[in-house]
Amino acid sequence: MSLDAIPIQVVHTTPPGEPGLTGNAPPLLRELLEQVERLLETGVPSAIDLSALPLTPADMDWLRNALGPGEIDVTLDANGESTLSETGCPGVWWITHRNEQGAVTSQFLEVTFVPELVKAHPQDVAMGRETLERLLADL
Amino acid sequence: MQGPLIDTLARQGVTRRTFLKYCATLASMMALPPAAGRAMAEAMAAVRRPSVIWLPFQECTGCTESITRSHSPTIEGMIFDMISLDYQETLMAAAGHQAEEARQNAMKANAGKYLLIVDGSIPLGQNGAYSCIGGRSNVDILKEAAGGAAAVIAVGTCASYGGIPKANPNPTGAVPVSDIVKDKPIVNIPGCPPIPVVMTGVLAHYLTFGSLPELDDKGRPKSFFGETIHDRCYRRPFYDQGKFAKTFDDEGARRGWCLFELGCKGPVTHNACATVKWNGGTSWPVESGHGCLGCSEPDFWDGGGFYKALSAPADPLKFAAAASVVGAAVGVGVSFANRAKKNKAKATHETITVADLEK
Ligand code: SF4
Ligand code: SF4
Repeated sequence: MSLDAIPIQVVHTTPPGEPGLTGNAPPLLRELLEQVERLLETGVPSAIDLSALPLTPADMDWLRNALGPGEIDVTLDANGESTLSETGCPGVWWITHRNEQGAVTSQFLEVTFVPELVKAHPQDVAMGRETLERLLADL
Repeated sequence: MQGPLIDTLARQGVTRRTFLKYCATLASMMALPPAAGRAMAEAMAAVRRPSVIWLPFQECTGCTESITRSHSPTIEGMIFDMISLDYQETLMAAAGHQAEEARQNAMKANAGKYLLIVDGSIPLGQNGAYSCIGGRSNVDILKEAAGGAAAVIAVGTCASYGGIPKANPNPTGAVPVSDIVKDKPIVNIPGCPPIPVVMTGVLAHYLTFGSLPELDDKGRPKSFFGETIHDRCYRRPFYDQGKFAKTFDDEGARRGWCLFELGCKGPVTHNACATVKWNGGTSWPVESGHGCLGCSEPDFWDGGGFYKALSAPADPLKFAAAASVVGAAVGVGVSFANRAKKNKAKATHETITVADLEK
């Protein structure tokens, strides 16, 4: 028996007639503005935890559209894929962490020049140096 | 990040970025501010690993299975790299006298500092004879081990509230840890089984801040048990609209409507299933079409039937806050409907289901 024979259809959970917008997304723009100003004035980065807020998928889409696409997308392959994408507002990054099954585990908006995760840690760079030295020694 | 943990992880192929990402997600799940993720990563990498003694009492090992067999073994397995697990019957290589000796040694060497994890309830009937390890009763072993512990973590509903062994008529006289240990901080991580990441979160909190997380009135970490299943259920819009599945195979069930009338205990159950989900975030009971059983609440097994709609609020205050007036009214209506249906079925000899019998 094919699975199609089982009469279960996936129904989207947003009831018909409702766009699913809660109005919780627009105030985030104001918070982002404050964070961007802080970054420009003091250089201090900040972040908003999107998974901790009562945002529906429609709210998320609205926010993503409002911020628009940016120029840089970074993909991190670490126990599942993470994407770090600069939005249309430079300095505002949309960060999505996924697990190995591809499910989203957490989402953040980070206001920073470069997200911390992108930078190489000095200790890791030191390990890279050792690798290079070994390569040279083997030449 | 310095210290041995990051090196241990590196040897297992876990990179610094993987660890940072993991900590960021953990902090998010624990409702900590984003910056806490970094703090956690730094603290956990540098910390001296605390000694942990894990005692299994009247239990089915489901809790251990839940925690050790999660879908991303490298990540959840990290908790075993963050701690020095000095005694765990299911996982340790030693057995018999050697195992008991390992526990005694760890208790002596780390007196006053080790974390004690307990899964399973403690039988008090027949002087505790219903469950013994090495000829000693559970209650005896627990009292001794708790004496030198910094804190006790009760894993699973049995250790937290007595669970299934304590269900009526409780033949072994089972009690939870909190009935025996009175002078140490206790964290309850209920669930049958508990969600693995809750346990990791409690350990991470302890390692980072040196303290236990904030608890609710039933001793559970507020960050994971602060809301009900119903509060965060994706079927909630249907509940609010009064759209309920009436059987497991009707039109409503196919359309994914609310499972309240099929016995869902979501409105009175505090747990993180609706947000954290199960099996690596794949799905969770309500998403697979079955109501919540209420497994993280005291006495869930004696709640009057898994397929019986909540009619009387089990926890009036919480229920009133969580359910709308419409919802509560629906509940009362359902219990009348249930009874009417059963009587009718009896009278006309029509086939009735198991679910009908429980109503
Ligand atoms: S009653 Fe159960 S299925 Fe319905 S909205 Fe609440 S938690 Fe979800
Ligand atoms: S949905 Fe309910 S019964 Fe199922 S695991 Fe979660 S809390 Fe327990």
